Amino acid sequence: MGAYRHFPILIITVPLVTAVLMPALSHRRERLCMPLAAAALSASTVLTFLLYRVIRPAADCFLSYRLGGWEPPWGIEIKVDFAGLFMLSVICSVSLLCLVYSRKYISKEVEPGKAFAYYSLFLLLSAAMLGFTATGDVFNMFVFMEILALSSYALVAVTGRRDAVRAAFKYLLMGAPSSIMVLLAIALLYSSTGSLNMAHLKELLAEGAYSRVVFASLVFMIMGFGVKAALFPLHGWLPDAHSIAPSPISAMLSGLVVEVAVFALLRLFFTVYGAASGAVSGTSEALGVTAAAGVLFGGVMAVLQKDFKMMIAYSTVSHIGYIALGISIMNEQALTGALYHLLDHGLAKGCFFLCAGAFIYERDYRRIEQLKGASRRMPLTCAAFAVAALSVIGIPPTSGFISKWYLIWGSVAGGKYLYAAVYLIGSILAATYCLRVIYYMFFLPPQPGTWEGGGEAPVLMLVPAWVLSLGTLLMGALSFVIIGRVQEAAGLLLR
Amino acid sequence: MKKVVSLCFIGALGVLLLMLVSSMPRMGDPGSPTNRRVVDRYLEKAEEETGTENVITGVILNYRGYDTMGEVTVIFTGLAAVLAVLGREKRGRVYAYPDRSPVRSSIIVRSAAGFLLPFIALFSLYTVLHGEISPGGGFQGGAVMAAGMFLFAAAFGLWKAGRTVPPRLRFAVEGAAPITFFLVGVAGLLGGGEFLAYMLPRVSAGLQPALRTWLTLLVEGGIGAGGAMIFISVLMALAREEVGGGQAA
Amino acid sequence: MGRLLDNYHYAVAAVLFCTGFYSVIMRPNIIKKIIGLNIMETSVFLLLVSLGWKEGGIAPIHAGGAEAASMVNPLPQALILTGIVVAVSTTAVALSLVILLYRQYGTLDVDRLMREEELEVPAAGPEGGEG
Repeated sequence: MGAYRHFPILIITVPLVTAVLMPALSHRRERLCMPLAAAALSASTVLTFLLYRVIRPAADCFLSYRLGGWEPPWGIEIKVDFAGLFMLSVICSVSLLCLVYSRKYISKEVEPGKAFAYYSLFLLLSAAMLGFTATGDVFNMFVFMEILALSSYALVAVTGRRDAVRAAFKYLLMGAPSSIMVLLAIALLYSSTGSLNMAHLKELLAEGAYSRVVFASLVFMIMGFGVKAALFPLHGWLPDAHSIAPSPISAMLSGLVVEVAVFALLRLFFTVYGAASGAVSGTSEALGVTAAAGVLFGGVMAVLQKDFKMMIAYSTVSHIGYIALGISIMNEQALTGALYHLLDHGLAKGCFFLCAGAFIYERDYRRIEQLKGASRRMPLTCAAFAVAALSVIGIPPTSGFISKWYLIWGSVAGGKYLYAAVYLIGSILAATYCLRVIYYMFFLPPQPGTWEGGGEAPVLMLVPAWVLSLGTLLMGALSFVIIGRVQEAAGLLLR
Repeated sequence: MKKVVSLCFIGALGVLLLMLVSSMPRMGDPGSPTNRRVVDRYLEKAEEETGTENVITGVILNYRGYDTMGEVTVIFTGLAAVLAVLGREKRGRVYAYPDRSPVRSSIIVRSAAGFLLPFIALFSLYTVLHGEISPGGGFQGGAVMAAGMFLFAAAFGLWKAGRTVPPRLRFAVEGAAPITFFLVGVAGLLGGGEFLAYMLPRVSAGLQPALRTWLTLLVEGGIGAGGAMIFISVLMALAREEVGGGQAA
Repeated sequence: MGRLLDNYHYAVAAVLFCTGFYSVIMRPNIIKKIIGLNIMETSVFLLLVSLGWKEGGIAPIHAGGAEAASMVNPLPQALILTGIVVAVSTTAVALSLVILLYRQYGTLDVDRLMREEELEVPAAGPEGGEG
């Protein structure tokens, strides 16, 4: 393993400490903030992808890093297995692209004296997601969740517009109690086991003592992370926050932040409580029902929206439901689909918001009907959106097709035909809202007074959007390279 | 209607929580999971393994040092968030008094504050440096220091406080806590150990305890200074109101 | 209900948790909601720190030849220190948002805040609504 041993901690701390350097730069050298942030995130990305050389989906093939050299359960452990590494690489790459995109967008939307705070919070958000995903300790997970939460509240409000501040406050008003619920769940878990390390907890929980307290802790965990993940009845904050935030932040929140919270649920279910435990089997049914309701509700609401970003936000509610439903089915195929959908959702939703941001940056068009005839002036942006839309609908050869294939296969294999139907209806709804926008963009004439003059979005904004949309194509076309490993990783989680 | 539903929900939650309480391990039982597992090593070996008499400090800085690094990053995030929302005070603007009262604080308040401040500063230093033995530590010391500055600002006005702790100093020191943690962590890596290890295998055995003491003090000092500066900056951002041309957004 | 009286700290924590939660979801005033958040947080801290208590326990400090066997668990105390910092930071962020909200909407009433369209921008800006 050699030097690879130290990679996980560097992946997390390099962006973290770079973020902290920003205020020192705020004094006269604010222009340096963005390149420095990009350098730190690129370093993390490179290190993350290098880890694929040593981590494979096998039971004994993971990196465990003991901070300060203290062995768990006394010290904190960072544990990167294949599923975690998969998530880390999605986080790194999507946030790097959003950061590149931010450069132009933010110089327009955020006043100069605040740009350093924006980049600092952006890095803190990325680093917190990385630390949150990689950690092997439940309390450490809470700490990183709080960095994540605080930075995302502020990033929603960073423009200082009336509606943005209100959306951020709404987010905080739901997010902060949910954090406390997670802390309460951790306290309950600690009271019944006496440990905080995930692997150690799994051993201790297998003894089955204090099962009521353990069950209650899982319920509070699901409620807490459910708010963060915008699972259906707890999604109230999401549409406002995601549609009003600056577009690169919407892409981060929608593509990564909610996803990381779902990933935390996955970790809890399989790595902490164990798929076979009574607590998990007691809650997964309920999770499945609410997730299925979320798929349908999000889809229907997305069809009804008039605001472009609002539509994408509701589509996120629907797609988070897909992933949670896949987790609740608890078999290998569905879990493979859920993991792959984490990748697909990060890429496609990221691309959606970046395209929406390009329209806002160039024209300040936010409503869907204003996009009629958009392809005449901004063909490249529209094309990037269209490709990502194929993935959201689930048309081959995109990654969205692969993940939905596995999800539906999993629900049929698990005998849950109703869930398979929910997935299909969700796809039809996705087709409805995506194809409408594509039809407006490419086949309708512009509304009078719109789309006169002007041109394509700047290159720095087009490139990230296109990398993401090509990513969905590539991850679909090349899925045979990866999907086998993802499936093995899913199998390992279930064991 | 909504009110009734919410009240019922909270009532049900309370009943469920109380039922949960009755099925939790008995409080204070030496045989309960929290008093039986993991904790022995902290209590028995912390003094020898971490070099601190205060076991809590040993847990905070050594066994769970990474959590503390996260914790100081959380307050830094809080500061960055406040600045992102409200913005930094602009140079050359005059700050109003926090209560916007035309009456300045009385001579009694000012002289009492002036009398107390040196002692508060001394006590905060003591708390930072003595944390490894008695209850205390960098964070508490920093909080005491910040409280002293708050008193100063309340008695003499934000304007003077902002001049006494000039923005340039604050910009430089705000990030001190995570940065010292990172540096100590990297020192651990370079010394052949893990990130945040205080005992470095590459250093000769005789020097190790001394090095550990110094690294611990460095971290405590970083947390204290960084924490105090962050609190002061947050106060300046929250309490300031620019005189002349308020910004109606 | 056998242990309810033995675990009276936990019971108090449960009651405090509900009190805070009540304040967060029922009170229309934003500041009271934030106070409620802090009460909820404190209740969890009380629960955590009581978890580490032991009958006849002493502070986990080795000075003066104290015996390790009778010390209370130091871990929850370290955890709530982190928790307190988190609570402080959350409150700071919440208050900064409140300041901006008040400047822009001129009210601290959540019900009025969320009914966006009918609201008008206070003409006086930050000076509006003295006291």
